[in-house]
Amino acid sequence: MKLKITAAIITSLLFNISCTDLNEELYDKVKDENFGSTAKEIDALVGGAYSSLRGFGDPISNSYPTCEYVFFLNEVSSDEATIPTRGTDWYDGGQYQDAQKHNLNADNRMVLSAWRYCYTGIAKINSIIYQIDKSGLTEADKAPIYAELKGLRAYYYYLLLDMFGNVPIVTNFEDQGLPSNSTRQEVYNFVENELKDALPHLSSNVTYSKLTKNVAYSLLARLYLNSEAYVGTARWQDCINMCQQISGYSLSTDFFANFATENQTSSEIIFSIPYDSKAGTVGNYLSSMSLHYLQRYAISATGNYPWSGNGICAQPGVFSSFLDTDKRKNSMLAGDQINLATGAVIVMDSGLPLTYTEEIGNFANAKQNEGVRLHKYEVKEGETWERDHDWVLIRYAEILMMQAECYVRLGSSGTAMPFVEQVTARAGTSVPADLDLAFIDQELLREFLFEGRRRTDNIRFGTYFQPWWEKGSTENYKAIFPIPNSVLTTNQNLVQNPGY
Amino acid sequence: MYSKNKTKDLRQIWRAQSRVFFIFLFLIAAAVNAQEKKLVSGTVYDNSGMVLTGASILEVGTQNWSSTDDDGKFILEVSIGNSIVISYIGSVTQTLVISAATNSEIDVRLVDDVNMLNVVEIVSIGYGTMKKSDLTGAISSVSANNLVKGVISSTQQVLQGKVAGLTVVRDSGDPSAGASVRLRGGTSLTASNNPLVVVDGIAGVDINIVQPSDIETIDVLKDASATAIYGSRGANGVIIITTKSGTKGVSVVYNGLSSIGKASNHLDMLSANQWRGYVRDGNLLDAIDYGGNTNWQKELEQTSLSQTHTLSISSGKNDSGFRSSLSYLDNQGIIKNSGLKRLSANLNAYQFVLDKAVKFDMGLFANIDKWSPMDYRIFERAFNLNPTIPVYDTNGDFTSVGGTLYENPVEILTNRTVDNQRHRLLGYFKTEVKFLKNFKAVANASLEHNATKGSTYKPSFAVLEGRTEDGYAQKTYGEYTSSQIETYLNYDKILGKNKINGMVGYSYLENIYEGFGAQRSGFVTDLFSYNNLGAGYNYRLGDVYSYKGKSNLASFYARANYSYDSRYMVTATIRKDGSSRFGENNKWGVFPSASVAWRISNEDFMSSSADWLSNLKIRVGYGVTGNQDGIGEYKSLSILGVGGDSYYDPATDSWSLAYSPKQNPNPDLKWESTEQINIGLDFSLFKNINGSIEWYSKYTKDLLYTYEVPQPPYFVGTMLANVGELSNQGLELTLNSTIIKRDKFSWDANLTMAHNTQKIEKLSNPAYDTDVIFSGSLHGLSGMSNQYSQIIAEGYPVGTFWGYESSGLDDNGAFILGSEKKALGNVQPDLTLGVGMNFTYGDFDLGITGYGMFGQEVLNATNMMLYDPNRLTSYNVPDAFLNSNISSAPTFSSYWIEDGSFFRIQTVSFGYSLPMKLKETKLRVFFLGENLAVFTKYTGVDPEINLTGLDNPGMDRFNNYPRPTTFSVGLNLTLSN
Repeated sequence: MKLKITAAIITSLLFNISCTDLNEELYDKVKDENFGSTAKEIDALVGGAYSSLRGFGDPISNSYPTCEYVFFLNEVSSDEATIPTRGTDWYDGGQYQDAQKHNLNADNRMVLSAWRYCYTGIAKINSIIYQIDKSGLTEADKAPIYAELKGLRAYYYYLLLDMFGNVPIVTNFEDQGLPSNSTRQEVYNFVENELKDALPHLSSNVTYSKLTKNVAYSLLARLYLNSEAYVGTARWQDCINMCQQISGYSLSTDFFANFATENQTSSEIIFSIPYDSKAGTVGNYLSSMSLHYLQRYAISATGNYPWSGNGICAQPGVFSSFLDTDKRKNSMLAGDQINLATGAVIVMDSGLPLTYTEEIGNFANAKQNEGVRLHKYEVKEGETWERDHDWVLIRYAEILMMQAECYVRLGSSGTAMPFVEQVTARAGTSVPADLDLAFIDQELLREFLFEGRRRTDNIRFGTYFQPWWEKGSTENYKAIFPIPNSVLTTNQNLVQNPGY
Repeated sequence: MYSKNKTKDLRQIWRAQSRVFFIFLFLIAAAVNAQEKKLVSGTVYDNSGMVLTGASILEVGTQNWSSTDDDGKFILEVSIGNSIVISYIGSVTQTLVISAATNSEIDVRLVDDVNMLNVVEIVSIGYGTMKKSDLTGAISSVSANNLVKGVISSTQQVLQGKVAGLTVVRDSGDPSAGASVRLRGGTSLTASNNPLVVVDGIAGVDINIVQPSDIETIDVLKDASATAIYGSRGANGVIIITTKSGTKGVSVVYNGLSSIGKASNHLDMLSANQWRGYVRDGNLLDAIDYGGNTNWQKELEQTSLSQTHTLSISSGKNDSGFRSSLSYLDNQGIIKNSGLKRLSANLNAYQFVLDKAVKFDMGLFANIDKWSPMDYRIFERAFNLNPTIPVYDTNGDFTSVGGTLYENPVEILTNRTVDNQRHRLLGYFKTEVKFLKNFKAVANASLEHNATKGSTYKPSFAVLEGRTEDGYAQKTYGEYTSSQIETYLNYDKILGKNKINGMVGYSYLENIYEGFGAQRSGFVTDLFSYNNLGAGYNYRLGDVYSYKGKSNLASFYARANYSYDSRYMVTATIRKDGSSRFGENNKWGVFPSASVAWRISNEDFMSSSADWLSNLKIRVGYGVTGNQDGIGEYKSLSILGVGGDSYYDPATDSWSLAYSPKQNPNPDLKWESTEQINIGLDFSLFKNINGSIEWYSKYTKDLLYTYEVPQPPYFVGTMLANVGELSNQGLELTLNSTIIKRDKFSWDANLTMAHNTQKIEKLSNPAYDTDVIFSGSLHGLSGMSNQYSQIIAEGYPVGTFWGYESSGLDDNGAFILGSEKKALGNVQPDLTLGVGMNFTYGDFDLGITGYGMFGQEVLNATNMMLYDPNRLTSYNVPDAFLNSNISSAPTFSSYWIEDGSFFRIQTVSFGYSLPMKLKETKLRVFFLGENLAVFTKYTGVDPEINLTGLDNPGMDRFNNYPRPTTFSVGLNLTLSN
């Protein structure tokens, strides 16, 4: 009897339980195939394409967000900014020194960061296109969404064209084959065609921060402006034509309104990356990358300002090239920094006063106070690490200056004059009667100082290859960066850019 | 009645056997002398009165023997006038002369053999137990009295130095810090290298659910033939903890310990007066003297006062028993505001029914931890700050000078409130049913629940985040629940000299984790602390979050043992594991093993050496085990996630959250698999030395790593994949010895030694091509962003320093560096060592334990950064810097890599057992010193440095909480009957 009971217990225990369910049940995430059918879900997908512009915290290049390194890379290799080494600070394996000296190698983390910034954005957009492709939308409904996404993707490819030249073109999310290089001309053609194809479906409205017709025309204008530098074919008139398609913008009366905390109201900004402290967006903290550690006491009597890192500053010579009457000179911070609590000059830990000097004595071991600081975006007490100012990518002043430059290059300085005058008038300066390319070059420096686009101007004007502060002559092949080594080792189909 | 039936069955077996014997004996008897026989039966008990299973009964001078069954009973027919020897490993052997007058039903009580300390006879092997003498795999056992004693807040600590090949590193003196455990070198780059922990048969639990005082024995399964029964979780070894249960009689035990501790070492930095001397001698006019005299390291410290109290009650009868215990510990840290408080309870009970055919067993463990995590940035700040800066200014406020990395560490330590709590719960219910004589079925249901609650407030006047956030409050909660059901069937049969055991089983585990958190900043008043998040006016999109996930593991397993005459033993196991974490293409893994052993000392030809070599056994095993820890949930899938990815909608002037793919899906994702061969030798010399030597070779394939993948075409630049291969080889020695055993005086010693060499065999396969992975990050040290000190590359062990070799300083004080980067040694020890000695003299006892690691390199990044000529006079430097002549800025090279070999005197205890009038009462008082000395050439604060992970193994990077030296007084009181 007892044996029977026992046997019954055993049988039930051993054989009634035979669960081998191994399906992964999701709770706080969603499988891609289950998302993207409603209008709200599609908005949330497309929104990701825009948020990608801020970059991402990158464990490989150790940058957060990646757009910070893209900015450093372009600024430090231009003639307007530098990141000197101060003691150990900002040495970081010599990566900034190499950029200053145009001695970048394929292991440089800023170069890798720039590559990953672009291709992560592109892959994200490819994945969104793939998701929308599977959604139940009609082709008519899909067309404007595709145009917006492909326009954004063309922006990333434009950056790749500018920085790396011969890059692979990948447009299909499902294609996992290892791609080969396209030539710089092919990438150029791709960017041009994608933008042109998108144009008919893009919005004609002035819609802040979205990829509209105006943005596409601006990007095409940039492409044509640099066409000679990129592929050897000058297209100055095409650039002018594109600029003339742009409408709905005007220079804001106050130059610095473009860089104020609430700069989204500026009438001048054509394309930007929005930031908002409440939305938890991180990235536009350039002041923290530039100002001295103790600057916070010059901003707030209680030191209520986030950490500053004492890094990037103006190259010697830049500050003094500005007229004192030029309002834009305030894009830089120089001289004594006053402690708001004491009214005296801030004393550094070394006992010396915090006085920003234009000169940098020893680039490889600069003093803490050397170098004039970036001061374009508004700095104010009580800011948090997440800042509110939107990062300006394209503003109307650039459209004016592009036209001016092209007219000068086409030999009609007279036609160019009113375009430049609009810009100088606001700055409180004037245009010389003999408006020439050299003036345009310097005016671009003054107007767009620390906006991340100077390297492209230097290359177009050829100054990039001439010696400047802490840099000798630059070989022509260095007009583009090397393709990162870690990308080359993982994809044997890729070939390094010539010269590297 | 069942037991009678059983006895009858045994008799039948015996009769069957004895028929053969009788013929054999008859032939001998005929030749020698006819003797009268007597049938003797009886029961064998241990010290505490519990029956002993597997004790052997041998008729002296014959091959006639038997062993006791599960009820401790035996039957043997013996020639009158002969003796029988009753033996059981770990007990003193008894000899009885069988005369015609001897009672045919005898009870034998074997006394524990104090000569054989540290020997645990019955060993847990996973889903069963086995006599140590029958083992075929490499298993080390440590009994309760041999575990590390002292101020223990992490249960892993009890094994430090106790098991050859098991390295326990606690790289911090923080009472709330855990310890890392690694067996036989790591088998994984990124996944955990922690062994699987099994408590009372429940696999995969948090080791800290069990308090040291509740542990009866710990068995460490080392080689693959032993661990393969745990399949995809067995590659890092298995620690099986068996907790104490009710033994026969009643006993009440109290253990108490009170301790004081102080930091054992400091870095010798300039004092304020040394700094002033330097400024005066150098006539440095710009230097700022803030007027204070501050030793910043000491300002963070305190003398810690700790206590532990444990009370247990246990009671047992023949068919039931229970034990309950309650313990409280309050371990104060030597850094102010740090510590750990834990209240824990344990209850277990068992009950036999139906004449011991069915046994019910239950256990319940629960504890609550409370601690206040500190901001480890204080240690770097303490080295940085100028010693003339006073802690407080003239207003009594914290002095605040200097830029980043130079905030007042006392302020950081004081002006923030962090209160964390952890709750752990483990409950199980086990049913064992014996049926059809040889079968035992076990069903086991268990639940483990672990929850952590965190509360943080950084007031608006606190430097760092508090001030910039205008007050910051955060609450977090996370928990996981593991439900497990296991059923297995055991078959045992003894047929003469043949012993057969078989086991098949099934288990299913479901692990659900979930949590949520919220944070806000911007507080008008600091009065609410973290208790009123709603009062914060500033909030961000990511300030509220929650998460949930689940994984399942289904397993089938089987084991077969066969042993002949306790001379030849064979074991084979197999396990099939299926996990929801594995990719679609690799849902199930199979993990086989086989091992054999030969007890040479039981052979006839060894009888001549039996007096000096009483045991000699050789074991050989091979098996495949897995590690699935490196695969998080959902890693194989293509999923969209939300969070941190907000976008602006100009139409509504508002922000929304984007949904984006989170990872490259990898449907091939699977466990890491380790093949291991083990050859072991167990021996007993001169009856007072027991030892084992193990040699092993492990080869791990399909290493999980987040590999860089080409971008494009991949979505993100990294992907979790199974690619690399690595190997470990090693040698281990364990020795236990009773050196002297006299009436009043005894001296025991034990020694564990292990050597391991590791090599990365492969990092690439056709799909993933990687030459080198950089590790040992220097990121975060000033000027060393994106810099690494180590490589992972084929042909080198994990943690190989890679950089320029320095041959010292040139005349200008600049580092002389080689022209090419090269390997500069590695962080893995060549030899790990543990020693213990116990002396008793009358009622006095003295115990000493120590452990050491030898041959590992340590990067002294603390010195590398502090020996910086740019620091003076703004910041502090070590005394030794002034004589170092160094004039170059910090540069990573071999100059800063030091030999980290050390030997630590871990504990010294001295006890006195008071003579008591009542025999049932025992009272022992003792003194205990911990971390009394470290023998090392290392110039930093402490050479025992974290070896796990890839980020900072073997790197001394400021963030070391100093280890305390502690002195304790304790009391053990036992009342029993």
